Amino acid sequence: MADAEFVVVRDLRKVFNGHTAVDGVSFTIERGEIFGLLGPNGAGKTTTIRMMSTTLPISAGDVTVAGHSVRRKPAAVRRHIGVCPQELALYLELTALDNLVFFGRMRGLSRREAAAQAMENLELVGLTDRARQPVAKFSGGMKRRVNLAIALMNRPELLFLDEPTVGVDPQSRNHIFDTIEGLRDGGMTVLYTTHYMEEADRLCRRIAIMDGGRVIALDTPHNLKARYGDPERVTLEDVFLRLTGRRLRDAG
Amino acid sequence: MSPGPLARPLALAGKELKLFFRDHQALLFSLALPLVLVFLMVGTFGGQAAFHATAYFVNLDSGPAGAELARRLDALPEITVKVLEAQDAERRLAASDVVNVIVVGEGFSEDLAAGRTPPVTVRQRGNGGTEGQIVNSYAAAVIREMMGERQVARRVADVLAGAGLPAPPGEIETRVAALFNEARAHPPVHVVEEAVGARSEPVAIFLPGLVTMFTLFAISLGAAVLVEERKKGTLERLMATGLSRGELLAGTWLGTFGRGLFQVAFLFALAWAGFRIFTPATFGSVLAFGVVAVAAVSAVSLVIASLARTADQAIWIAVFTTMVMSVLGGSFFDSSALKGPAAVLARLTYNHWANDGLRRIITRGEPLASPGVLTDILVLGGIALVSAAVAAAVFRVRGDEK
Ligand SMILES: Nc1ncnc2c1ncn2[C@@H]1O[C@H](COP(=O)(O)OP(=O)(O)O)[C@@H](O)[C@H]1O
Ligand SMILES: [Mg+2]
Repeated sequence: MADAEFVVVRDLRKVFNGHTAVDGVSFTIERGEIFGLLGPNGAGKTTTIRMMSTTLPISAGDVTVAGHSVRRKPAAVRRHIGVCPQELALYLELTALDNLVFFGRMRGLSRREAAAQAMENLELVGLTDRARQPVAKFSGGMKRRVNLAIALMNRPELLFLDEPTVGVDPQSRNHIFDTIEGLRDGGMTVLYTTHYMEEADRLCRRIAIMDGGRVIALDTPHNLKARYGDPERVTLEDVFLRLTGRRLRDAG
Repeated sequence: MSPGPLARPLALAGKELKLFFRDHQALLFSLALPLVLVFLMVGTFGGQAAFHATAYFVNLDSGPAGAELARRLDALPEITVKVLEAQDAERRLAASDVVNVIVVGEGFSEDLAAGRTPPVTVRQRGNGGTEGQIVNSYAAAVIREMMGERQVARRVADVLAGAGLPAPPGEIETRVAALFNEARAHPPVHVVEEAVGARSEPVAIFLPGLVTMFTLFAISLGAAVLVEERKKGTLERLMATGLSRGELLAGTWLGTFGRGLFQVAFLFALAWAGFRIFTPATFGSVLAFGVVAVAAVSAVSLVIASLARTADQAIWIAVFTTMVMSVLGGSFFDSSALKGPAAVLARLTYNHWANDGLRRIITRGEPLASPGVLTDILVLGGIALVSAAVAAAVFRVRGDEK
């Protein structure tokens, strides 16, 4: 499997009770890049991620991660991936450290390995000094950083980040960006979804713009903007407007 | 890399227990409830089964012996003396306020000294009641003892006088009294009361039902665990780690089991402290039985947790199950006394077998290895296994897909 095809999504489809949420999505992700899924609420980003990360059954099509098919080898895929879900998925009553150690143990780490990895991850997201406080006492941004740190407990090669900055203060947002770029520099591959175009513009090497369950454009931010004029002046917001006739923020 | 097949279920259970101990409200409830129950039982049945009564006492004696009798009676652990004026005593007898009064006559000291039977009257309504009769016999025993002491003192004085050895006045009485005191302090026979076999105290009769009811709380506590996990989004996250369904269910069961066992052990320990109804051996037996009962009830809880899709569903199924089992299988009534179809239905419930075993161990003093208790243990073990199998069959990880 070539690094250019580290992740291959082929004609992926999801139908919920007759409603098609993801409608034939295809793209590939290169090893080591931050790949963006940009689209308004309801575009199908989360549904795509849930299928790619083995937690939602695929209606049609398939995904391979490092050559392993999600449909046929979900256990092999799980070993390569970490998922930071859109909604906080952790135990608010427990401390940050307890949360990380617990998920580390679910990943098959021994208590000691999990504790060491947890401290490393807390350092990475800048929460070392809050390690032993219940997550319930954290600000929204800090909770999101714990949510992210949990996804890194198995040192994944491929990280799914589903709108990690929603409801986050600017300080935490910058911290999250720095963390993601640091991970990318360390060789991690990232699938990043957002409905904030500036984020996608800043972080992602390539972007798939999604709307109504389909990918309506896929390229680097520069090339996407260059389609409609001077890339220094055109924004991704303009690109979305030209593609759909709607504004990104109003859509959905 | 994986540190053993039980590592993940144990970590899951450990997390549940941590959540339980962090949830101060739930913890308080599960610890306060047994405390309240045991205090209620102490209040209702009394902490100890030992006899205790009040002796109403009228002292008309012109000498010091009447007061001495009152003092000695009061010194007994079983008796508290309440001294009344004669008129007051009559009034309270007339009003049935008291049913039994010991009246010491005017010549009590004099007669005692002279070796005559002293004048003591018991004024009582009817037969004075069981308690009154027991008080009377305690009083009679103390009076006999006082007469005996005087008699010994007189004999000694007679012998000394016969031998021409006069003693200073009061000397003999003081010495004899000292000897008797010493004898009382070191009785030749020391009686220790120990309960053997069947127990009739209300506590021993009510405790099994109480414990059964209490273990049923585990059903409600565990029923919503998986729903909560779903709601928090942690279920999906857990399944994405590669955790298997079996490990998830085993860990969930283990968490409910650990919590339930903690609560039951706490209740047993309180009952022991409050009523001394266990010996170390019987405590071990009820605890071992408790392990099996809580294992069974946690598995029933796991079935509900696996079925329920919402917290409301979980609560209502749990409450319904608990009520049906209580009605059919009994908690505070002994379902083994049922006949016909009711008896058959009762045998289908967890309550019946838990109650039966606890009753055998706590009330009847049967050992764990007796056939009756063993049957209960086997059936409860069966309930645990069957429930676990049902839970595994009905559980669906993906609740969002119809
Ligand atoms: N579990 C589900 N059951 C039914 N419909 C769903 C479910 N999850 C998502 N959908 C629908 O699928 C569409 C895409 O949703 P989603 O993937 O969450 O979009 P996004 O993440 O881009 O905001 C929406 O119309 C949403 O209502
Ligand atoms: Mg989404």
